[in-house]
Amino acid sequence: MSPIRRIWNVIRRRRLDDELRQEVDTHLALIEEEERLNGFSAEQARRRALARFGSPMASRERSLEAIVATWVENLCKDFMFAARRLMRSPTFTIAAVLTLALAIGANAAIFAVVHRVILNPLPFADSARVISLEDGMPSRNVPFGFNSLTTQLYYAYLERAHSLESVALYRIEDRALTGQGDPERVLTTRVTPSLASMLRVAPMMGRWFTEAEGVPGGPQVTVLSYGLWTRRYGADPNILGRTVALDGVSTAVVGIMPAWFTFPNTTVDAWTPLPLTRASATDNYSFTGVARLRRGATVAEARAELNRLHIDLERDYPGNGYRQLVAAPATLIEATIGRVSGALWIVLASVGLVLLVACANVANLFLVRSEIRQREVMLRSALGADRSAIARYFLCESVLLSMVGGILGFGLAWGAIRLLVAFGPSNLPRLTEVRLDAVALLFTLGLVMLTAVAFGGLPLLRSTPIAAALRDGGRSGTHGRSRHGTRQLLMGGQVALALVLLVASGLMLRSFQKLRAVNPNFDAASALTFRVGLPPADYPDRAHIVLAHIAIVDELSRVPGAATVSAATCLPLVEGCNQGGALFVDGQAMQPGQQPPIVLRRAVAGGFFETMGMRIVRGRSIARDDVERNEPIAVITESLARVAFAGLDPIGRRVRFGNRPLPSGDGGWLTIAGVVADTPVLALGETRALPQLYMPIFASRQVPLPPRTDAMTFVMKTVVAPAGLTAAARAAVARVDPKLALAQIRTLQELLDRSSSQMAFTMVLIAIAAVVALVLGVVGIYGVMSYIVSQRTSEIGVRLALGAEPRSVAAMILRQGSTVAIAGATVGVVAALAGSRLIASLLYGISPRDPAVFAGTTLLLLLVAALACWLPARRAARLSPLEALRTD
Amino acid sequence: MPKHSNDRLQGTLDLLILKLLDRSGPLHGYGLAQRIHQATADSLRIEEGSLYPALQRMTHEKWLKAQWGTTDTGRKARFYTVTAAGRKQLEEEERRWVTLTEAVNRALRFA
Repeated sequence: MSPIRRIWNVIRRRRLDDELRQEVDTHLALIEEEERLNGFSAEQARRRALARFGSPMASRERSLEAIVATWVENLCKDFMFAARRLMRSPTFTIAAVLTLALAIGANAAIFAVVHRVILNPLPFADSARVISLEDGMPSRNVPFGFNSLTTQLYYAYLERAHSLESVALYRIEDRALTGQGDPERVLTTRVTPSLASMLRVAPMMGRWFTEAEGVPGGPQVTVLSYGLWTRRYGADPNILGRTVALDGVSTAVVGIMPAWFTFPNTTVDAWTPLPLTRASATDNYSFTGVARLRRGATVAEARAELNRLHIDLERDYPGNGYRQLVAAPATLIEATIGRVSGALWIVLASVGLVLLVACANVANLFLVRSEIRQREVMLRSALGADRSAIARYFLCESVLLSMVGGILGFGLAWGAIRLLVAFGPSNLPRLTEVRLDAVALLFTLGLVMLTAVAFGGLPLLRSTPIAAALRDGGRSGTHGRSRHGTRQLLMGGQVALALVLLVASGLMLRSFQKLRAVNPNFDAASALTFRVGLPPADYPDRAHIVLAHIAIVDELSRVPGAATVSAATCLPLVEGCNQGGALFVDGQAMQPGQQPPIVLRRAVAGGFFETMGMRIVRGRSIARDDVERNEPIAVITESLARVAFAGLDPIGRRVRFGNRPLPSGDGGWLTIAGVVADTPVLALGETRALPQLYMPIFASRQVPLPPRTDAMTFVMKTVVAPAGLTAAARAAVARVDPKLALAQIRTLQELLDRSSSQMAFTMVLIAIAAVVALVLGVVGIYGVMSYIVSQRTSEIGVRLALGAEPRSVAAMILRQGSTVAIAGATVGVVAALAGSRLIASLLYGISPRDPAVFAGTTLLLLLVAALACWLPARRAARLSPLEALRTD
Repeated sequence: MPKHSNDRLQGTLDLLILKLLDRSGPLHGYGLAQRIHQATADSLRIEEGSLYPALQRMTHEKWLKAQWGTTDTGRKARFYTVTAAGRKQLEEEERRWVTLTEAVNRALRFA
């Protein structure tokens, strides 16, 4: 029976079944009639009929089984024979399985990451309608991504934006958690109570905040993250209603969020209500906003409406610069993964290319094998095996190989994911949730089937008619042109793919080098930094706070090994502590249509610039006596000098945040004493420096809209290895107040490294893909060339016997190999030129068509390919003509 | 090459079915069972259900042709007829049977 007919029978099983049932039923009925005529009752007749017939079910099943069983049996047999054949050539089998495992494993692992991080980034219901309220300031060359809001904007959106269903505001703060166990700095998020209903989330235990808890003077309550609850409180089920001390304020735990809820980022430990009132709204940019679009409203509608509101606000708060804000809301999904999704897709594409290289490689091995067995196959077809039998013969092997490769690969992926999760950058959302789930398993299975067909089908595509095979398949002949053609095509393809990946990783490497070469304008060498926050219960006003910070600086200065010590409210490259506002210059009237610049403000202890190694370009820095003498001075960055003073000398000019004097009537002006070089605020290689202003911490007491100083980051320049001073620093802080805890302990170098970590991560992944592709490609070239030499052994023998120079024989082989390699490289260069703009967004300071990278990688590839060809060529040249002729 | 030719028991059933169908014309399974009982004077009692795997197999070998029809009492049943290939198979089986029984008889007589 032909296999097609057999499959048809299986499909038809139901119909067969029905026909047979009908036939048997008739038979039983006829016996019953006969037995009733013999005088038996209906019941007796029925029993006698069944006895005479035997079991009707059994009979039916037996006939069907006969058909299905042989089919299954044959399939099993085919696979067993395939397994036995593969076991007989272990080198081929191991090479093929390992190659496939590597490629399938890499694809499964990266797919699992992409699936979790990009395809399912937000675990909130209907998350497509949740938007991040971001702005751009085109007049300051910031097109989008400015994600700070003021409470004035919040109330305007809340009350007047019809396209928004609900709005929530939040701010991340690190606070001291004390009571039960060691004091600890925890990351808390102050949120408006509207957040939970806006995101459509609910606590796993207990409740979320009520509106009454979101006003000043409301009850002190907190909702803990699942992580903090399990880590610090051992998942105590009786925690609800208990109080914990946050910054020394006793706070009641009212709820626990589920483990997957990690808004706004994975490091959040607890949420507390953000107390706000309409009356106390300010123009302090220190909050972040999220909103839910009204059903049916689009992001574009929201953008237009918010822009209208910004213009209205200009009327309510003249001169506050709201006009320059151009709303650029993005869906939260875009805002969360926008920066990383490109990188991940590219990594997935890279490992996809590696899989192609691997398939080409195994296909080549397979071709070689199938040619060696050409006679066996020929014999089979001569004996009447049809094409489908031959197809089964090859496909069974390829399916078996891919299955084993897939199983091993799945194991590799499991390990790789552990590594990715451990070393991945922290800004990949949901990275810790990445695991190999059913979807990843299905994906892997799909890959296995695809690869099996891809390389197993190849020998079939070019299976030759018998006559040609007989003519061609003689033992010692040189193989036909077409067969070498296929092999060389695969080899060239491998070279091309490997080159594309090499170029990509080369471009990434150069970008990384460029990024690392960016001068951050501070000296990261041997400096320890950490953050200390003062609980408001013990440090009720700015005077107490500032004195405590100065005392800590003094204690730290006495630590052996410390050279200089200072502190700032915010360091470069640190997120979450930036506060900004509109800056006004004394005596500089706003022209109509002119906007005050939005400036980040920092308060520092004396000697900060010296400790950080920041360069004063003009005037002087903030010294310790400026701090102690309460001097109202400021140091501004070069970019601010440019923006606010347009080339004029800013030294001696007076500036102020906000356009109103202090309630006391004092102007609250700061006099500019110096200009410092720009430092990066959020990332290395920022396209445009964000203006910053530094003031002494004492001065921060007497200006409007001062920066928050309750938590400061201390910087210790050390003469010994900085990490070794952690314990001494902790002891020094404890001498000031034993209840204080250190947070975010790291060296400045770590801070600097972290800012390039995402690029490093992407670069390493692409580089791994490129190296794997290169190795597979080289192994492929070597394999094909060796095979060609072994096939041409007798021909080479004849040539040598007829007096050919060994050198020219080697050159002949080398020429054959390098022609293919050069052709492959040419295709690769063209493909890389066309494709490299896809990774342009990942690059820094380098053109996606950088000639040096293209030339360098092409050269590297050709050298390696030449080596892979040279080894077999040398073997050919060293053949002894006698032996070569005897091989057949 | 005809299959099952070495399997005597199965071969016997095949032989009986072919012979009876060839002599009587189209029969359904029940009718065939009746004929076997009559022809062997009830001395060969077979489970009537075991006819069906044999009928299926022989139809598959193209020795028999099956066609749906109606019985005297108006029931739907499949009627089997012997094909040309079946007739050739019958001759073959008969020849073998004679050879075999002669050989066995001879052996029994002279043992």
